[in-house]
Amino acid sequence: MTPECERVMDCLEGPLPPDLASHAAGCEDCRALLEGFHALAAPTAGRAPPTIASPLHESAPFNEAAPLRDASLIREAKLEETRRKSLTELAAAPLPTPWWRDALVLLVTYLAVGAVGLVLVGRHGMLLNSAPPPVVAAVALLIVAGVGGGALLGVAPGRKRWPLGLVALGAVGVALAQLTGRSGVQVRPLLTGALGCMGTEVVLSVVPLALALVLLCRSAYQPVRALAAGLSSAGVGLLVLHVHCPDGAAGHLMLGHLLPWVALAGVAVFIRSRLPSRTFAP
Amino acid sequence: MPALPEGAGDSDEVLMERFCQGDAPAFDALFQRYARPIQGYLTRLTGSPATAEDLAQLTFLSMVRARGRFQDGARVRPWLYAIATNAARDHARRHRRPEDLTPEGELPLTAVADTPQPRDAGLERAVHRALEQLPEGQRLPILMHRFEGMGFAEIAEALGLTESAVKVRAHRGYVRLRELLAPLHQETAE
Repeated sequence: MTPECERVMDCLEGPLPPDLASHAAGCEDCRALLEGFHALAAPTAGRAPPTIASPLHESAPFNEAAPLRDASLIREAKLEETRRKSLTELAAAPLPTPWWRDALVLLVTYLAVGAVGLVLVGRHGMLLNSAPPPVVAAVALLIVAGVGGGALLGVAPGRKRWPLGLVALGAVGVALAQLTGRSGVQVRPLLTGALGCMGTEVVLSVVPLALALVLLCRSAYQPVRALAAGLSSAGVGLLVLHVHCPDGAAGHLMLGHLLPWVALAGVAVFIRSRLPSRTFAP
Repeated sequence: MPALPEGAGDSDEVLMERFCQGDAPAFDALFQRYARPIQGYLTRLTGSPATAEDLAQLTFLSMVRARGRFQDGARVRPWLYAIATNAARDHARRHRRPEDLTPEGELPLTAVADTPQPRDAGLERAVHRALEQLPEGQRLPILMHRFEGMGFAEIAEALGLTESAVKVRAHRGYVRLRELLAPLHQETAE
């Protein structure tokens, strides 16, 4: 679309100024646009939507008007019911809960679960990752950023929809950082070690995931939001394992740390898609 | 419903601010202003007046429950239409079953059937059918622009897209509608 075509779009409702009219006359795109716009106008312009009672209905002959009046009354009654229910909800909670309070509750829960988890799994040593400490710290910070960002993305109201690719890219970034920052040490057999870490990650994710799902239901379902919140809540377990787990082999990290992380995020999207929304706000 | 609620002359944003502080008359004024347009929009979107009534109720309940998510500086109308659109999407996602479709595999157009048949019912039905054939990405901007009188900036805000993206989608939609409705308008002209 050229800038002139955009201006034609902006002026669709009224007569086009002379310069735009001459552009539209010579522009195939604009002619097609105008014809499409006016094609809708002829049969529908000025008509009230079918469900809304109109004076036209009132003036119809008696035998035709009676059922219409009944339908109109039913619709008015439904509107009144909607108004009454809304006012009742408003009276029950006159002051709204700001969205950031939800985000704060979620982040505090992550922090508490992470701290308790680290204490519980780290009875015999908390920081057992044998990679160089700056690398461990850098990857941990990246996971923390991902967990915080995912929580905000999941809960905060957004005017723009976040592209799925961006969330996926963030997740891949975290995964690659963990793999490149590995110690390479293999402490236990692959399957035994992976199963232990999987279990730990799942257990640590239960509470954050449940809370994230409750909070997600306070806005309209968006798969990207659910995915971000899922990755974020499962990220708590990922972070605990990252600092605690002494096993730094690539196979172990992929099977025991990253696979359950991604799988739990998928579970979050699946469950959220089946839960009813309490509100449909963006 | 009361004829003229308190604050009926105030702007949407002023009313929203008061409503967010728990002011019931401000909600009433917004409700009076938007209940019918939202219900009309949902009727066009779903094709069913009964469904539209239920979804309109969910829209306003959502408005009350989620007013803590309304951001400073945002406009009320796009926000409300975003809620209504989300409610309709959710309904379609949960309730669309193969047995709900016509033998041709299309969504039933009950909106027209519920009303007295006007003289141009065929045309109106054709317009509904043509709109139904558009992908959602093109249909929503056209419904909001042509029938709700919203500007492209407002539509962009409601759909979470850029204004340019909305214009491109609306443009494509109108061009496609011209193709779909051309035979009908030729018949009418003859």
